[in-house]
This record gives sequence, structure tokens and C-alpha cells, in this order.
Amino acid sequence: MKIGYAAILVAATAVLEASVADARPVSYPGGATVMQKNNGFHSSIHAHYSPTFQDSIGLYSERNWAEDWHFTGVQYNRLVKRWNEKDSQANLYFKGGIGQADAFGEGGVDFASFAGVAADWETRRWFTSYEARAYDLGFDQTVRHAARIGVAPYIGDFGDLHTWLMLQVENQPDSETPTTLTPLVLFFYDVQLVEIGYTPETERFMANWIVRF
Amino acid sequence: MKKTSSILAAAAAFAFASPVAVAQTEPADMAQSDTTMLTVNVKGMVCDFCARAVTKVFGKNDAVENVHVDLDNGEIHVGLKQGASLTDDEVESLVKKSGYAMVSVEREVS
Repeated sequence: MKIGYAAILVAATAVLEASVADARPVSYPGGATVMQKNNGFHSSIHAHYSPTFQDSIGLYSERNWAEDWHFTGVQYNRLVKRWNEKDSQANLYFKGGIGQADAFGEGGVDFASFAGVAADWETRRWFTSYEARAYDLGFDQTVRHAARIGVAPYIGDFGDLHTWLMLQVENQPDSETPTTLTPLVLFFYDVQLVEIGYTPETERFMANWIVRF
Repeated sequence: MKKTSSILAAAAAFAFASPVAVAQTEPADMAQSDTTMLTVNVKGMVCDFCARAVTKVFGKNDAVENVHVDLDNGEIHVGLKQGASLTDDEVESLVKKSGYAMVSVEREVS
């Protein structure tokens, strides 16, 4: 794994993220978004602005306790392709970031970057997504995959409270518990999205939220 | 009885007078109520974030008075300001700018 594996993934811009939230790394023209994720092993915050519906740029910071590193930098997201169908939508995204990383203060600060691809497909009833992201932290390289499948127990109209039941599988090969399965419930109302889950393998709760302006 | 007759006479006068009054204001009303309602059929609009994007993008256009999104039918209902207009190409451009694909647009003028 390490450099070879990570380099391939970076070259392939492999990343897929796993949530309705992450599946929306771009907003409408002029829209801004703040998203925060925490699963007990890594916590991140991402704030971005979208000049067009295909692009967003912002700040990203992630603290990873599973692998003992902290990244802070600038992130760019690009909607590479969207498939609009009558009752569904599918998307392919590129995500990339540059900044600095440190191993929790050990060994100083290194130039760091990440890249990945994300894809999702959703209807008003079903949702599925996958993301892979590769990091070059300077002092280490790592990769992470995540996939989700979800179902909406009821179909709400615009402005209603929307609820999704989801199952996430995440793979972080370098961590102590490489693969985890997290059932979660997602609430989506107005401009706010909140999701709460629990990972039995790690006995940790997941809590994510998004606000779009 | 006299009072009742007076009331009936007044009511009759009002009833006959009313159409004349309406007829006099009709041309002005017609000019002021020359508004267009668009029903835009769209593909790919499956969630609230999508609907919000559409309302934001259409809402910023000077010709648009109000926007309503019907996710069930994949439709955007756009009320234009009095005397304002949007061509089909302009509507399609706004839909694309929102990130979606236009199928058709219907117009209703009132």
C-alpha cells in the first residue's frame, strides 16, 4: 500500500464519499456550505463556496485519531458529470486538496495533498454512493473508501422533513479496525442535514451535519 | 315599507351600476394583469437541495416574481412579473445553471 497504492489512487483520482451530504460537494451558483463529520476516529470540517453548480472551493480540516494525523488545507470539488433522468440523478465528482499535515505535533509540519473521486446515484426513494480518497501527508500515505446505501421510508415534498435510513461501510486499511459498518439515520430539513449513526466494531457514534446557505 | 323600498332601490341601482364601473376599469386591469405563469418540466430534480438550487437561481432573475417546485411531478412553476417575459432558451439556461435538464416549458398568460 503506501506510496504505490496511494499514487495509483491519486492518479485515478479515486474518491467516493458516502452520504447525501458528501454526495453534494457542490452547491448552486453563489451558494455556500458548511459540513462537519465525526465518527469517533476522524473528524472533519469543510466549508466551501460554489461559483457555479459544477465547482466549489473552500477550506478543509481533518483530524484522524485512527492514524494520528491532522490535515488542514484548501479543497476544490468538481462535478465531472451529472446524469439527469426523469426520476433519478447520478453524479461523478473529483475532489482534491492541498495544505499541510502533521503527526499530532511529531516530526513537524509537511506539505500534504489528497485526491479522490466520488459517485452517487439517487431517486427520491433510494440512495447509493461510493468514495475513495488517497492522502499524501508527506510523512505517510493513506487511503480511505466508503460506500453507502439508503432508503427513504416515506417520500416528502420540497420543504418537508426528509428521513433516510442508511448503511455505511468504510474501509481505512491502515487503521486498527480497517473495515466498519455503520447503520445511521439521516434527517434533512430546509437547509440543514443531520445524520447520526453507530459503529458496533469501534463502539463509536457517528454525528454529521451540513448547513447550506 | 318605505324603508324597504328605498333599500331595494339602492340595491338595484348598485347592481346595475356595478357592471358599468367594471367595464370602465377593465382595460386598465387587463394591462396590469398581463402576467405569465411557466410550468417547466425538469429531469434530475430529486431532492430538496435540487429544489433549493432551482428556487435560488430562478429567484435571482429580474423577470421572476415567484418560484414553486413540485418534486412529485418534476415541475418548476414560475410566476413572472407583470409585463416581464422569459424565452424558452432563457428558461433552459436557468435550468442548466441550476444543474438540471429541461424537458419542456408551458406558458399560461392571464
